[in-house]
Amino acid sequence: MSLNFYRRVAFGLSPNENPDKDPLNWAINQLDTIPDLLWPGTIPTEKDLRKKYGEWVYGDREVLRKKFKNDKHAYRKAKDELRIKTGERYFELNEHAIRHFQTKYSQQPVFERFWLFWGNHFAISEKDFLAEFSTGPYQREIIRPNMVKTFEEMVQSVTTSWCMIHHLDNSESFGPNSKKGMEWGETINENHARELLELHTVSPNAGYTQEDVIQLAYIMTGWAHKWDRKNLETGDIWFDQEMHQKGDKIVLGVKYKNDAKRELAKVIHDLATHPICIKFVSTKLCRHFITDEPTEEMIDPVIEAWNKSNGSLIEIHKAVITQAYKYNENTHKFHPPEIWLMQLSRMFDLNIPLSFEKMNYTFKSKPNNRQRQLSWILREIGHSPYRAKQPNGWSDLEVDWVSPELLLRRFWFASVELPMLIKSGNRSHDFILGCLKNNFEDHENMASLIDNFRFGTSDYDLGQKYGVICNLPGVLKI
Amino acid sequence: MNCTRRNFLIGGSTTLFLSGYFPKISFASMQKKNLIIISLRGGMDGLTAVPVIGDKRLKKLRKKLILENVLNLNSDFGIHPKLEIFHKLWQKNQAAFVHATNIPYTGRSHFDGQNLMETGAHIPYKEKTGWLGRGLLASNIIGKGLAISLPMPLLLRGVPQNNNFFPSPDFVETKLIDQIYNEFKGEHNELIKSTLDTIRQRPLSMQIATDSDDRKKLALEAAKQLKDQSGPRVAVFDLDGFDTHAAQGGVDGAHADELEEVNKIVTILHKNLGQAFDNTLILTLTEFGRTIKQNGGYGTEHGYGSAILMAGGLLKKSQVYTDWPGLKKKELFEGRDLNSTIDSRAVYNSAMSVCFNQDPEFLRKEVFWGDELPDLSQELFKI
Repeated sequence: MSLNFYRRVAFGLSPNENPDKDPLNWAINQLDTIPDLLWPGTIPTEKDLRKKYGEWVYGDREVLRKKFKNDKHAYRKAKDELRIKTGERYFELNEHAIRHFQTKYSQQPVFERFWLFWGNHFAISEKDFLAEFSTGPYQREIIRPNMVKTFEEMVQSVTTSWCMIHHLDNSESFGPNSKKGMEWGETINENHARELLELHTVSPNAGYTQEDVIQLAYIMTGWAHKWDRKNLETGDIWFDQEMHQKGDKIVLGVKYKNDAKRELAKVIHDLATHPICIKFVSTKLCRHFITDEPTEEMIDPVIEAWNKSNGSLIEIHKAVITQAYKYNENTHKFHPPEIWLMQLSRMFDLNIPLSFEKMNYTFKSKPNNRQRQLSWILREIGHSPYRAKQPNGWSDLEVDWVSPELLLRRFWFASVELPMLIKSGNRSHDFILGCLKNNFEDHENMASLIDNFRFGTSDYDLGQKYGVICNLPGVLKI
Repeated sequence: MNCTRRNFLIGGSTTLFLSGYFPKISFASMQKKNLIIISLRGGMDGLTAVPVIGDKRLKKLRKKLILENVLNLNSDFGIHPKLEIFHKLWQKNQAAFVHATNIPYTGRSHFDGQNLMETGAHIPYKEKTGWLGRGLLASNIIGKGLAISLPMPLLLRGVPQNNNFFPSPDFVETKLIDQIYNEFKGEHNELIKSTLDTIRQRPLSMQIATDSDDRKKLALEAAKQLKDQSGPRVAVFDLDGFDTHAAQGGVDGAHADELEEVNKIVTILHKNLGQAFDNTLILTLTEFGRTIKQNGGYGTEHGYGSAILMAGGLLKKSQVYTDWPGLKKKELFEGRDLNSTIDSRAVYNSAMSVCFNQDPEFLRKEVFWGDELPDLSQELFKI
């Protein structure tokens, strides 16, 4: 088995890891349990961060805007102070550190790859202040714990999470015949219902109609944040009977009897176990781990494992890895920038993320440049994970990640930024050769391409070496 | 608005019969003509950008989204106050609008819709190339596409050697590429290899480092490139954020902010293209319009018909070109959306034919599989 399997399903091997005698077992054994988050710094809870979110929006909207309504300059200054005080510019940086620390050091890196996959399947795109306060904890507290449960349980948690409900506007969706809907003349907002069908479960392949979307939106009415004057939209999610559309609903030909908050679990059960959903999500998994255009032959065993285990994610993940192993030698997969960065970080033991002591934030001044470094790099290489442009998340296709500028950004990172991330003990040529040998069969050919610089250890020399190595076809893709 | 369906095809088509139409090769056609597409992702609300004036039903259905200070175009239509440059160009016959138009897609999914607005096809994800890329290829215009975005938009795919401009923060030594170029072997490395070719052939001016967050700078550089006789002939801008399910607002809301971005880009292009603006067409592209009625969050839902905003010296004249379907319930698409009476692909096909000096019939066959798309070049553009 080629060494590239460790990059196909994980992040490559760090300088102190060795290839396993049985790579398939090595990978499969990582999927039964949820590894602890290793980040030694602060890991705030979702609830704490939502409180901060509330302080930020309340302070800005209800206090500062009123107080300084005639003084733009003073308003701006006060707002900047509020940013500092609530950590508005800090928490996303900390979340990136938690994430990248995990992919760098986890003893179950294969599990972590699935974590990234699901976080992107149930993506939270750039909206309001979600990336600042909410998307990171959503990945940790909603996505992660569900990865050893069933797909259906995952969908249930995601759909009723504060983050997704805010992301897709379900709090603004009123049953037109509900108490509040009638009183206030309000109606549904279809956004969440549509994406639950299209992106999260059955996909357009199921052939649902506009009426199906409306009926599902009716079922979902009432699942909203609890609003109050102090927390505004950041209150807990609950089921508000007074927003809920009364009466029976029909989605994809199935009738759901008027049953208030219990309707949602029933329809999610049917969607998450729908054969078209199973095929759609299995295909996406194979696309992520095997190749951009997976064949039925590749996908079918995953569907089979899904059906056999009633949607157990552990079993599904194992089947995906088994297929990835089976097709490892004759398929290619291009990696998007963040995964590429994570792999470089693990293989070459780069100095990212910043140490937790230095990431510590005092809420007294703006985060410094070092604290912002990882997030800045992610943005510059085109892949800031919690800021997907749209609710379908980041693409998993090579064509979407290859353009002159996107490739240039990778050259930029590897030749300009990366040398500054090499640990002081790792600047020798032998260190690079060792890492290459650990991760690539054709390490000798790779080494020959940077032989001209073998005596160089300056940032410039390292830039020339890593600029070449990191952008070779065998590093950009499997 | 008092007019009903088909009682007017706003535009100058009546004069057409009087003046006659003789295709001619003029000096102008030898000049390089630029086609600029601005993608508006998320579903641009045609009724916010180009509102009908005095429609009581619209006012009733959009109580919280009322627009004030609309800039009037004619007795029937106005434009959003943030679209100032279009109003200014309108006075000079350099801005026009196509209304109640869309790609033939009614599914209301962003992702399917955006895929189709770019491929120009009928089935989502079936085609892997964009209509603009195919149009360039069919016209044998190679290596003249420029995307102002980090990824290569699907719209431009299908023709080799497109460039994009969205520079990294530092200067990048492209000579590194020479050292690894030969390592890209085999079919599965073709895409990367040809992209590396494009990088190696980039003009020096594109190797600058700048702040890519600054849309003004990007638009400025695009204008510089397009102005160059040997530079790109096609540019694609990509804007998102038009999906205003909540807080869409009127003069100042979320939709207004996005229109302001469009206005900014067109303003910069207009200013910096100088003379070349006379040989330029700027057109917007979106996946669908939005519902007539406001929703529970003072926003709007995914709809159908929208509008195309157009600017440039290659426009025939200032006009709102439409076959207005009306806004009464029975006139709406599925009782909720502005209908689309013009397949927007006809506009794009005609625009390509003008800018690429091609027979629209030929392009229609090469690019849009021979779909029924009437030639609108005489109505809309200078030929």
